[in-house]
Amino acid sequence: MSYHFGRGWSKLIPYLLLLPGLLFYFLIALGPSIATAFYSFTDATGIKGAPVHWIGFENYREFLFMGRASVDNLEALKRTLIFSVAVTFIQFGLGLFVALIVNQNLKGSNIFRTIYFMPVILGVVIQGLMWSLFLYPLGGPAAKLLSLLGLRSEFLGGPPAQAFAWVIFIQIWANMGITMMIFLAGLQTIPSELYEAARIDGANTWQLFANVTWPLLTPSVNTNLLLNIIGSLQAWQLFLVLVGYRNGTQVLGYLIYATGFGQTSGSVTSSFRQGYAAAASIVLFLLVLVIGMTVQYYLQRREARILG
Amino acid sequence: MTPSTTTSSPSYRLTRIPWGAIGSYLVMIFFALLYLGPLFMLVNTSLKTMPSFMKDATALATELHFQNFIEAWNKANFPKYLLNSVIYTVAATTIYIITAVFVAFPIARGYIKFSGAVLTLFVIALFLPPALIPQFQLLLNLGLYNNPIGYIMLFIVNPIGIVILVNYIKTVPKELDEAAALDGCGYFRFVWMILIPLIRPALATVIVMHAIGIWNEVIAPTIYLTSKEYYPITRGLIVFQGVYGSNWPTLAAAVLLLTLPMLILFLFLQRYIVSGLTAGAVKG
Repeated sequence: MSYHFGRGWSKLIPYLLLLPGLLFYFLIALGPSIATAFYSFTDATGIKGAPVHWIGFENYREFLFMGRASVDNLEALKRTLIFSVAVTFIQFGLGLFVALIVNQNLKGSNIFRTIYFMPVILGVVIQGLMWSLFLYPLGGPAAKLLSLLGLRSEFLGGPPAQAFAWVIFIQIWANMGITMMIFLAGLQTIPSELYEAARIDGANTWQLFANVTWPLLTPSVNTNLLLNIIGSLQAWQLFLVLVGYRNGTQVLGYLIYATGFGQTSGSVTSSFRQGYAAAASIVLFLLVLVIGMTVQYYLQRREARILG
Repeated sequence: MTPSTTTSSPSYRLTRIPWGAIGSYLVMIFFALLYLGPLFMLVNTSLKTMPSFMKDATALATELHFQNFIEAWNKANFPKYLLNSVIYTVAATTIYIITAVFVAFPIARGYIKFSGAVLTLFVIALFLPPALIPQFQLLLNLGLYNNPIGYIMLFIVNPIGIVILVNYIKTVPKELDEAAALDGCGYFRFVWMILIPLIRPALATVIVMHAIGIWNEVIAPTIYLTSKEYYPITRGLIVFQGVYGSNWPTLAAAVLLLTLPMLILFLFLQRYIVSGLTAGAVKG
């Protein structure tokens, strides 16, 4: 496109002004992102000036195949997948259900919409502390509810599987609002004439959903599924706030952080195995890539079939 | 049910009982309780004394024990942490948004060569491995570990914001560029004085998304900041939990001190926050 703001050397001004943003991006994001692959083949630590050696695939071999730790790693990998599947499907289903209900424009539905979105802005620390209090085992609200049924639970302090399930629940609670909002945006693009025409043809509520809403919602279905899958595979911050680095609950993201930066957040020590952590990041990255691309492939085929 | 609940839905007859609407309200109220319950528990606990919390955690606060808030404010080192959070958020967001506009504008207009490829370059980072480890090595070797400037540097990049800006700038008619240039307006002045006011909605969305991300960040401060004097409020709260973890009334007051401003901000900026965070969710 033609440039109007002067000629000659002044045509360089856009380049000059673009440069800082581009440089920051290379320095902070793109460069380090690519360098992760490089670090995964080294024995880098978190110590300034310590020598770094090229060790080939040693980190990967250790991560996947060596001793007790690799068994734990594969457990964490499995747990990451369980977490992702549970969060993706439940959050998707609930988000759609709630969006359909709120979208009826009943009086006050805007207020409900706002309430469901609220945790998203509060961030993981507040989300986590709120639920730690709600799940207070010595007579907190959740404990009281359970005791009505004659049950008891330690919640986040209970057996690892239980604590893990609670983190899944809270993760969904915290992010369902985003899924709902994306569905609401999609629902608003469906022309109301279609519903009227279908109703005249005698369609009932279920037929309206199955034949009008669901197919026309395909773009937001795709967006939400991909976002949920990719997001949940990488999410682990709530584990940090709610249960800490506890055996039987770790997911890959947390494992990377713990091996790369030490389990306790403190000063730099020699236990910062950053080459190893970089290799683990690449494993997680490949997992996200393969799952994401496979799902994307099927979603696009489905979209082509439905929307033509 | 009163007719007023059905006025927006013409398919209901006033003589029929709108079971659908009743059911919908029941569902909405159920979920609202699930969302407001923890918040209510937080407020209730923050107003109680420790003995009354120990006696019955869920009983309604009978006295209004505001002492918790004063204690939390003083003991949690709140003023310092809050100030740090504000500095990090404002500084990084300002640097980011200014550089981002000057990246997005020439890309949207094609004023630089290979603008399509440059945009792709920005999007590609979303699909590459996490930058966590090399970023740390970079800051460590630059001597910016445990340093506010290094910490701010982490947050001056955000590719999604660039994409949002590019798409929005494309809706601004390019005849405006020509007209302004004919009147002798320079490139920088055009962007600064004419473009920026025109793309305010997109700017607000991107700023809000970026700022909330920095404000709520919890991992980066545990990695990069070791001195207490540099902690942002998120890290401060976690430290506070470590020390006062069993004293829930004070801890609840501390959490609430941070929650309330966010909620108020949310109510005022809801439109931008929702569009920013649903777009920002792409980040995963």
